Amino acid sequence: MISIRVRIPHPRLPSCSGTAAAIILLCLGSAARAQEPVDPFANPGAVTAAPSQPSGRLSKRDMQDAVQNKYRQILAAWAGGQTERAAGDLMTLETSVVHDDDPGSRKRLLKAEEAIIHEIGGANMETLVPIAMLHHEVYRRYLQHGAKGRSLLLVHSRGMTRDLAMLYKEQSGSQGAAMVSSRILTSLGGLLQQYAQQLPAAEMFYRAMDMDPRNTAAMMGLAIVYEKNSQYQSAVDMLNKIVAADPAYGEARLRLALNQKRLGRTDEAQKGLQELADAREANWVTSLAAQELARLLCEKSNLGGAQKVLEAAVRRFPEDPRLVVELSSVLDRKGEVRTAQALMEKVVTMKPTTEDSSRLLYNTTRQETFAEARRFLDENAHSRLSLLAEALSVPNHATIAAERVGS
Amino acid sequence: MRRPLRGSVLVLALLALVPALIGVTVAHAATGVYIESPPEGSPIFGPTEVKVQVSGDEAVTQVELFVNGKLMGTAAKAPYTFRFDAGDENVKRDLKIVAHMVSGSTAIATRTSQPVQIDDTMDLRLQQLFVTVTRGEQRALDLGQDDFRIADNGKEQKIVTFGKGELPLTAVLLLDTSESMQGERLEGVRRGATAFLQGMKPLDEAAVLMFSDRLLKITPFSEDKAVIARALANTQAAGGTAVNDFLYMSLKLLEPRLGRRVVILLSDGSDVHSVVPMSDVLWKTRTGQAMIYWIQLEGGEKHHSYASAWRNSKENDKEYDSLEKAVVESGGRIQRIDKVTELEGAFRGILQELREQYVIGYYPNDVRKDGRWHDIRVGVDHFGVKVRSRDGYVDF
Repeated sequence: MISIRVRIPHPRLPSCSGTAAAIILLCLGSAARAQEPVDPFANPGAVTAAPSQPSGRLSKRDMQDAVQNKYRQILAAWAGGQTERAAGDLMTLETSVVHDDDPGSRKRLLKAEEAIIHEIGGANMETLVPIAMLHHEVYRRYLQHGAKGRSLLLVHSRGMTRDLAMLYKEQSGSQGAAMVSSRILTSLGGLLQQYAQQLPAAEMFYRAMDMDPRNTAAMMGLAIVYEKNSQYQSAVDMLNKIVAADPAYGEARLRLALNQKRLGRTDEAQKGLQELADAREANWVTSLAAQELARLLCEKSNLGGAQKVLEAAVRRFPEDPRLVVELSSVLDRKGEVRTAQALMEKVVTMKPTTEDSSRLLYNTTRQETFAEARRFLDENAHSRLSLLAEALSVPNHATIAAERVGS
Repeated sequence: MRRPLRGSVLVLALLALVPALIGVTVAHAATGVYIESPPEGSPIFGPTEVKVQVSGDEAVTQVELFVNGKLMGTAAKAPYTFRFDAGDENVKRDLKIVAHMVSGSTAIATRTSQPVQIDDTMDLRLQQLFVTVTRGEQRALDLGQDDFRIADNGKEQKIVTFGKGELPLTAVLLLDTSESMQGERLEGVRRGATAFLQGMKPLDEAAVLMFSDRLLKITPFSEDKAVIARALANTQAAGGTAVNDFLYMSLKLLEPRLGRRVVILLSDGSDVHSVVPMSDVLWKTRTGQAMIYWIQLEGGEKHHSYASAWRNSKENDKEYDSLEKAVVESGGRIQRIDKVTELEGAFRGILQELREQYVIGYYPNDVRKDGRWHDIRVGVDHFGVKVRSRDGYVDF
């Protein structure tokens, strides 16, 4: 029997008839609902309205049982592949219970969910992976919905994902578990970074790297946090590690060169940018390397060099107006006013682009940075769903109690 | 006898040789024709004077001036001076002088004028100022040329052209269409830009440039409002913001245009993704003559600092300050508005202001092309008026 350590103490549930009634209503009604996306913020009244029956105050124990029972049903739906229903119902449950104006509400939810996790994880700790992924998915949806004024809910959801990942790693102690947990935290960090929460993202990346020092996605995430916070030396140190681990990682090499430039190491930066600009692959990194190399050369007063770099880049990316604008500005500086003018007139005839520019991509947390981590997680979580279903097949006291209340 | 004869031959030989070197053909041994002015290779425009010298013993019956093969004037006696209108076209012109002698012989001299190189135009540049004068909340529209004083680097300048705002204008409507402009904001932008187009007069021209971190739509300069309006209709807001790049592009597109040039920038934020630094845009503003008006949607009174992977908050603040500086130095202004519904009024207000500007021209008397900053001061000899115009320019 594996013992599961619980990080947060279980407070006793206080009497809360409104919330309890809402949860009971939820428990009674959810089974009949179709599997479709749920927006808990669009119509929160749907789950918090007073029930017609049963009425009256519930005991703390009944309340906790109702939440636990609902949580079990949600996990069962998740294990059965009902992704939308499970995620939607968990959002609805959590939204009904947790309120920013009641700090204790999060503890009550945590206690109820933890009780189920103890029970199921105790039976088979591998079930912690799909449960963590459910909370990860719900957190993603909260962010997507823009859960303004729901900070406690966000903290809870993020904390559940993180703690489940860490619990799994700690309890297992295997290298494989460390890799899985590391990727859960990396993916979570990517989400946080996508929504501009740099410091919580950094925490996730740190922990992920601690679990798996070869996790280049986490290293990249952390390097970006450093870069956005002007900690260029730390960014360079991290990017050097990534490039050492994966010399073909173009984006890492680009970021390394740009951060070297910011530190005044312009010769190293120039060399790195030149290699990228000359690379055979023609992608956003190549285009951006050419732009930045030209800028670096301009700053060194080498306008002729900048012109050559940009002319070569324009030949490779003839539909990129930004390169033409930059080339025009360099020619202007050189005094070649008419050539600069002719180039600008050319831009007017260009077909507008529909793709994000390379400069936007550089400044954006791109899903592809964490795609490998998510694919790895999906595969791992999917392979454990049957274990979760099996663990949930044994009814517990909360299920029985909730059935008693419902009848 | 032989020695004087030799000397005459030598003199005659020299006479035949020297004029040939300076573009003169001599038909008669004793007669020569020389064009004193204009000098060889110099450009010719407008009213032009040609001075000719005829040397030799033989009497001249008539001297003719041909320009590009066309007879432009004749003279029967010295001094042989011709005046004609060469026109404004910047082209090469062939001048030919034909002197007819009593004997029936002729002497010919030729000269070729060269067009002015475009790179040299700065030497001849008329510095134009677009001056907004207000008295209280109202614009002062009752001023004449004598009311204005212009100082260029502290030296008073002679005003050579003066007009009021009904001069045609060329505008770039530079519209931020980034993701944050989706929905109601984009509709507001369309209404505002349309209001501007509706206010355009027959000789006015405009181009629309809709941008985010990329170029979303651009039209050529056109007087046709329908063409521009169509461009406004079918654009979706998407992406980040790259003000510098597309402001630079707008200024560059306006550079070869004549007369009053203006960029009307509408943006709800500052630059994030540009490759062209704001210092280059500022330089372009200072070396050009276009005005920049910046309609700042929900700009508030204070710019909010932010950091990106491209610049930290301090660097971004600097870029923002430089953009403000470019606007002010260009003679334009920043209009901060809080609601989308105020956009139409903002566009109309700018157009009205442009119509009510004084247009003052002078030739700077200390042009050196040395890249120095020339400080411009515009004064009005009236009490209680406020004057806004370009602060200066780079002598480049």
